[in-house]
Amino acid sequence: MPTIQIDGKEYEVEQGRTVLQAIDDLGLLMNGVEIPHYCWHPKLSIDGSCRLCQVEIEGVSKLQIACNTLVRDGMEIRTTTEAVRDAREGVMELLLVNHPLDCPICDQAGECKLQDYAFEYGAKHARTREPRRPAKKAIELGPTIVFDQERCILCRRCVRFCREVPRTGELGVFSRGEESRLEVFPGMKLDNPYSMNVADICPVGALTTKDFRFKVRVWFLDDVPSVCNGCSKGCNVWGSRSNNRLYRYLPRRNDAVNQTWICDTGRLSYKQFSEGRLSLPRIRGRETGYTEALAAAVRILSEAREAGAAVVGVASPFAANEDLFALRGLLSDLAAPDAVYTVPRGDSDDLLIQAEKAPNAAGARELGMRESAEGPGKAAVAIVLGHGFGPEAFEEVDALILIDTHESPLLQAAEVAVPSRSFAEKLGTFTNSARRVQRFQPMLEPRFEAWSEGEIVWRIGAGLGLDRFRSAYDPAAISRQIAEEFPAFAGISLESLDDAGRELG
Amino acid sequence: MIEAPATTSYLSEHYADEAYATLSGYEAKGGYQGLEKALGMEPAAIREAVKSSGLRGRGGAGFVAGVKWGFMPEQSDAMKLIVCNGDESEPGSFKDRLIMERGPHQVLEGILIGAWAMGAERTYIYVRGEYALSADRLERAIQELRDKGKLGRDCSGKSGFSHDIIVHRGAGAYICGEETGLLESLEGKKGQPRSKPPFPAQYGAFGLPTTVNNVETFAHVPFILDRGVDWFRGFGTEKSPGTTLFGVSGHVERPGLFEKPLGTPLGELIELAGGVRGGRALKGVGPGGLSMPILPSSDLDVGMDEESLSARGSHLGTGGIMVMDETTCMVRVACVISYFFREESCGQCTQCREGTGWLHKLSRRIEGGRGQPGDLEVLGRLPKMMEAQTICAFSDAAAWPIQGLLRHFRDDFESHLPEKSCPFGEGFEL
Repeated sequence: MPTIQIDGKEYEVEQGRTVLQAIDDLGLLMNGVEIPHYCWHPKLSIDGSCRLCQVEIEGVSKLQIACNTLVRDGMEIRTTTEAVRDAREGVMELLLVNHPLDCPICDQAGECKLQDYAFEYGAKHARTREPRRPAKKAIELGPTIVFDQERCILCRRCVRFCREVPRTGELGVFSRGEESRLEVFPGMKLDNPYSMNVADICPVGALTTKDFRFKVRVWFLDDVPSVCNGCSKGCNVWGSRSNNRLYRYLPRRNDAVNQTWICDTGRLSYKQFSEGRLSLPRIRGRETGYTEALAAAVRILSEAREAGAAVVGVASPFAANEDLFALRGLLSDLAAPDAVYTVPRGDSDDLLIQAEKAPNAAGARELGMRESAEGPGKAAVAIVLGHGFGPEAFEEVDALILIDTHESPLLQAAEVAVPSRSFAEKLGTFTNSARRVQRFQPMLEPRFEAWSEGEIVWRIGAGLGLDRFRSAYDPAAISRQIAEEFPAFAGISLESLDDAGRELG
Repeated sequence: MIEAPATTSYLSEHYADEAYATLSGYEAKGGYQGLEKALGMEPAAIREAVKSSGLRGRGGAGFVAGVKWGFMPEQSDAMKLIVCNGDESEPGSFKDRLIMERGPHQVLEGILIGAWAMGAERTYIYVRGEYALSADRLERAIQELRDKGKLGRDCSGKSGFSHDIIVHRGAGAYICGEETGLLESLEGKKGQPRSKPPFPAQYGAFGLPTTVNNVETFAHVPFILDRGVDWFRGFGTEKSPGTTLFGVSGHVERPGLFEKPLGTPLGELIELAGGVRGGRALKGVGPGGLSMPILPSSDLDVGMDEESLSARGSHLGTGGIMVMDETTCMVRVACVISYFFREESCGQCTQCREGTGWLHKLSRRIEGGRGQPGDLEVLGRLPKMMEAQTICAFSDAAAWPIQGLLRHFRDDFESHLPEKSCPFGEGFEL
């Protein structure tokens, strides 16, 4: 392993990496070692054209671009010298020569690398007196992306993304010199399942998503780390929220899961938390209070227990491991068989999109639940976590206790229905298709009274006087119990997990 | 067809003879004897000979050809390639055109020697799109070689030596003359220089190990092999041996090509071209094509080799000498030069894409009498922001001439500002 020096500090780095890659590997890039860059992206091929990442290397007369200079043992790199600063200032001044400087009306303002680095390295006043290059505004590149040609700095990240990641190659830079412009190839549209990633990697406000455009200024948003629940991949996301509302998902880098990407379907799934929610408990369709609904559920179950009638449980691959474990405990105390569940399926690809369209099917499997196409079969009572079977699966069930986040056809069939928190409103873990356990935390406060599925189950168990539910509901404690009971989960708990997650043993 | 050089040496000795462009005519003058000698030598010995001859690339950068040949991997599972750069596009430069038109077999012989020395199996000659006759002459010469079994499998009477040569016509972009821009273009892509590493010797055309040399560089090689290293070093200077075809153009009586040893004084070459036209006084000279800093008339004694020129703040480039007499407005020159580079920049690197446009707009404004205080400071600083920082040397080439103009002819620029017009006459807009 070569040892390199960065601004006087020594680091061991991997052979064959470039300076910028090595600094990124160390976790230091823009996080201790400031090397501004535009065209370089950790998950795309090296372009080397923005020339902003130039650094000084001992023994080399010219400045070198950090993104395409291979590390060698004993290399001494300097990132803070006057020559480096001069070069950065030069690049920034030139990038701004034809830039419209329309930050006040630009969506990227506040998270714009052009703005950030201009603030750091830019001149206070433009020295150019020449008219700015005319260019087009608001070009629709496809169904999801709008392009502002004036703002584009031609870093070509988006071009390389389309060629290298979805491998659809819709974009190119046409013409040459200062006439160069980003365009879709003739007759094409920027239309692929990952198209909106180009807006994330665009360092400026040139590419924006139609979905987020003009919705909110980014400085009103704060970003909460979470996990997409659209399929079993479990792509890591940032949920950007303001005033208890989610405005977007951005992919959150996790090299073991989704790199720096997310599919368009997953990206737009942040909307699920505000639409079609079940907001009030119901008893036989009549809206009621939480206490009444829980009491009704407890009554139904205790009658069944006294009568020795069959109780079954239906789990959901949308519920967290902690919810499923609580349900498992209740079923076991009621001498019910293992819960069944069903997983919606759809298209998949070799990039991120998985066929299982639920975030925690692997978790349900690991926790001993049984996938079934038919449903729970004949029973007196079914305790059901929603988002799975339709009403036809419960034709042979006398009383249905439904715990669900959204209104669904099952609502009509339910004796008791209790609204639960969506995963955006609670703390928990999912196990993805690669058996990686990932933590999520509340991004939103529920806008009506609601508990998590696990807590509702817990309170029903407590109402039934069952021992294991005597303490207060605590997902962290449940996750520790999971680790004790299931060897694969050993060492994994809500407290021990970080935002990168951990693979099951 | 352009005229044969007014002064000749070994390279252009027979260029006036039409038959020299054919195989029989070339062989009648001793052609392909260098190849015959080379094929009797170990490849390493040829590389060593070319290296010790000190032959420097004639495409503008002046890199020692033998050293470049040594970069090619000795052992390679992949086919090795030679690319001969005939995309001569440097304004003021027209020597490669003459060589391809009148001495195509010199180039081909040099290529075949290089092929044996480097173990290359195929050569692409990338010919500037406008050079139709050059491409035709080369193709005719290649066909002659094929017909005589000098190309193909086990060719030129040497078993185990296989080579073929393909002519590829460019489509008229200056940047495709840059080594790796050429490779991209050859592959059918947009002509944009590649970020290095990897270098062509590792990852060249189509990803194969490739050596790129200029047309003239190859043309010298047969003479080195045939007549020897010491003979070759008898021309030129210690560090820049051999002759070259200096092109002299601009305000001279008889523009044209002149074969002279490297190191020949600049003034002598201008005299060979009949001196400054109409008996006018000399104002400035671009010594190496459009891309090199322009020198003042006081530098006529400078030797036309890289060492002497760089000591005066310029470079040899392609040896295309552009003469400007006293009626020349140097702001107008800046305008023309920056217009060229603005048009031809590939647009990848920030400094070049944005800097070339700014340079042109700025010099155009000053030339048009719309200059403002502070403009000259920007014009002075801007080239510094553009040089030595980009993927290829194009940005330097755009910056250097402007630096030279400001260094030596600042008065021209300053006089435009208070007069609010061009003191050399109105009516110029580019």
